[in-house]
Amino acid sequence: METKGKRLRHAFITVWTLTVIVFIYLPAICIALASFTASRYFQFPISNWGLDWWSKTFNSFEIRQLLSTSISIALCVTAIAVIIAFFGALAFARYEWKGRSLYQKLILLPIFFPQSVLGLALLLWFNTLGLQLSWQTAVFAHLVWIIPVVTLVISIQVYSFDPALEEAAFDLGASRWQVLKEITLPVLFPGLFSGALFAFLLSWGNFPLSLFTTGADTTVPEYLYAKMVAGYTPGVPVLGTVSTVGATILLIGGYGLILAMRRGRPAE
Amino acid sequence: MRLGQGEKSAIPVLLFLLAGFAAPLLAVIWFSFMPTRSFSLAGSPTLENYETIFQGTNYISFLWSLGLAVLTVFLLALICYPAAYGLVRVFGRWATLLTLLFTIPLFVSENIRLYGWVLFFIKNGVLLGTLKSMFGLELDSILFTPPAIILGMVYVYLPFMLFPLTLGISMVPEETRDAAFDLGASRWQVFKEVELPLSMPGIVIGFLLTFVLAVGAISEAKVLGGQSVIPVAHDIEIAFTYAQNWPLGAALAVLLMSVVGILVILALRRFDLDRFLGRR
Amino acid sequence: MTPPTAILSLIGVRKLFGAHAAVDSIDLDIAEGEFFTIVGPSGSGKTTMLRMLAGMDTPTSGDILLRGIRINDLPANRRPTCMVFQSLALFPHRTVGQNIEFALKIRGEAPEKRKARALDLMDLLRLPQSQYAKNVLKCSGGERQRVALARALAYDPEILFFDEPLSAIDYKLRKTLEKELKDIHRETKKTFVYITHSLEEAMVMSNRIGVMRAGKLVQVGTPHEIYSSPNSRFVSEFVGDVNVLPVKLGSNGMLISPAVNGPLKPPRTPPGFTEGHLVIRPEAVRFLKKASEADNAVTGRLYNEYVLGSRIQYQVRVGDSVFAVEKLGLQSFTGKLDDMVTVGWDAEDAILVTD
Repeated sequence: METKGKRLRHAFITVWTLTVIVFIYLPAICIALASFTASRYFQFPISNWGLDWWSKTFNSFEIRQLLSTSISIALCVTAIAVIIAFFGALAFARYEWKGRSLYQKLILLPIFFPQSVLGLALLLWFNTLGLQLSWQTAVFAHLVWIIPVVTLVISIQVYSFDPALEEAAFDLGASRWQVLKEITLPVLFPGLFSGALFAFLLSWGNFPLSLFTTGADTTVPEYLYAKMVAGYTPGVPVLGTVSTVGATILLIGGYGLILAMRRGRPAE
Repeated sequence: MRLGQGEKSAIPVLLFLLAGFAAPLLAVIWFSFMPTRSFSLAGSPTLENYETIFQGTNYISFLWSLGLAVLTVFLLALICYPAAYGLVRVFGRWATLLTLLFTIPLFVSENIRLYGWVLFFIKNGVLLGTLKSMFGLELDSILFTPPAIILGMVYVYLPFMLFPLTLGISMVPEETRDAAFDLGASRWQVFKEVELPLSMPGIVIGFLLTFVLAVGAISEAKVLGGQSVIPVAHDIEIAFTYAQNWPLGAALAVLLMSVVGILVILALRRFDLDRFLGRR
Repeated sequence: MTPPTAILSLIGVRKLFGAHAAVDSIDLDIAEGEFFTIVGPSGSGKTTMLRMLAGMDTPTSGDILLRGIRINDLPANRRPTCMVFQSLALFPHRTVGQNIEFALKIRGEAPEKRKARALDLMDLLRLPQSQYAKNVLKCSGGERQRVALARALAYDPEILFFDEPLSAIDYKLRKTLEKELKDIHRETKKTFVYITHSLEEAMVMSNRIGVMRAGKLVQVGTPHEIYSSPNSRFVSEFVGDVNVLPVKLGSNGMLISPAVNGPLKPPRTPPGFTEGHLVIRPEAVRFLKKASEADNAVTGRLYNEYVLGSRIQYQVRVGDSVFAVEKLGLQSFTGKLDDMVTVGWDAEDAILVTD
């Protein structure tokens, strides 16, 4: 293989990829910059640097309400999604059964679906059922999309699960419940943890579904959207940065934990 | 009927999807055949909503969404392929870090990310403000025009093209590539005869996922595009809210779902998910 | 004929998957304390049979008896049996000690008693006690095999089942473990039921062997019986290279074969034999200076030689047939390749099979 052409190609690929990464993080940088202005409107280059809006935001009751709504939704979604998706993943990747390949494709449908249309469909459905829209309906809406995603995430771990482990435990005298508790759950734990992480973060950052199904309650993304359209304050980039940084820390921390778990038991 | 373990494990998910996915979609389909501006499911079925769409102006939003989505997919395929190739074959140890960097934005709400672009492109924003103060250039903002929307869509849906492509490229065994070279194939021939066909599952998923999500895009047009383009999702929202015309909105949604549904069924019909996701 | 005390009996056991009979009516008695190996090629049904004995699958029809009591419906976790799996199935999130003690832990035994037992087993299986707290994934292949065995022995089951545990490891380690397994069988005095696709492996370790093919047991006997008195072409070819000639019984009691010229003197012919195959093991064939030195002789071209460690195998082409001749290395043949040679065997050293 020609090495000079290869070196050139690899250099091009590296530069290209790094450019894409800069492209991806550019808006985040802009938002962070915009949060450090003391003046009311955004003007670049920033004349008035200051942390005023940071303190204003953290002291705001309204903001705390928002954070509480977003977190409540995310926690409920995580708890329910992980439980249902755990079984869903076992059906997806562990057991051989007749409808499995159809089932696998059915799970994918809510993912391969425009989210805004899903949100609107759920809005219609809730209204038809006469349900009052609130953060609880938003939990349900999030789950429709997030359960399949978490199912896939956990399935990836389940694929490498050796069924003989459960059989061996059973053969050694364990009851079905003991097998689940001593073997299945601990071995699958990294997958469950990844799934929980995904569920929380995807719910926390979701906009299209929340927009249509929270009713009077408001999540952080919804609030930010409203303010972006009308009523901009630098509190918007502050909250945006907090949201972003928070998600990043959770993600990196979670990923680090998973790596540590894997090092505790090296991959076969 | 004796249920095996597989069937029993699948029940919670399936029940949930029945209530949360199948039921709402069926409701939407039913509603699309209800008389215009009615709010109940008990009316007499009619096709007037579909007539309105095709004889009126609603189909324009539909075509805009399709067009924007196709363009987005095409642009993203070009942008992401080199990066995906790099992640699998070039970056080695750095691949994990880079993948993490690419993953983080997925968990940040899309309207926040798009707003960063607003701050970048707006008059006196990061780009124009810098140009003005450093070079004295006063340019018009590209915000609130269709190109801005396309930029936003490419931006938001990038991971959905990148990760499936990466997965697809990683399905091409290095040895198979090496064997092709060894047998005398040129770089282009190896790509065409070996890499492209073997990474096809990833390419299909990337294209499909990106298209399906992009066709329902709403935030980009709202945040970056102002009122310059109304995509079909926005049109549906308007029908459901301001226009108070549920059946019309439902009909639009059904059209969109049909396009999406046909594509998904065609592409996934004989797709081997086990091989793609885990069992190597 | 029932051996003294049959601990495990199979009566007409069948297992159907759809229309396909993976196990097709097996009758077998396994004596207490014996090392019984079931040998067969892939797909012969041996794994299915083992799983039914262990309780992982239930027979479609037929009975499995443990000391005379029917256990078909007894689930695996209540049978006094334990299986060593092909992948070993060691619990990756637990240490060596925790793996070994698992059966005791779920039966509620006290930690000190469990640890004492685990250490005893580790001694028995020649695992250094220092490995007790080691994570199993950091263990070598040989260590993992021993941990799997210790775990299976921990709660003192009456029968141990082995599902080809040695098939995925390298030759040298396998040879060592085969011998150790036989030693442990002797020391623990338990009944071992083992399956493998390698007859060679089975012969090293077993008291008796059952050869399985397409769901049926085609021959059961001691290793010596299987090797020297195979009852069919399939069994005789299972060990390795054999010389097989299609033969018909001629009018004067001699055998006629299309593969060689001239009649062949048969071994003791079973009554009613009309046609079948004559099986001659390579070590029973020798080089002759004159055709009259042996009961049967053929002439051909020395085509190739293969060094098999302590023996050398020669390939002699006789017409369209190929004869394999084996000699101990010390007595190697002094001719050259492409020489015409005469090889032969004594009548009683061959075996007649009817298929």
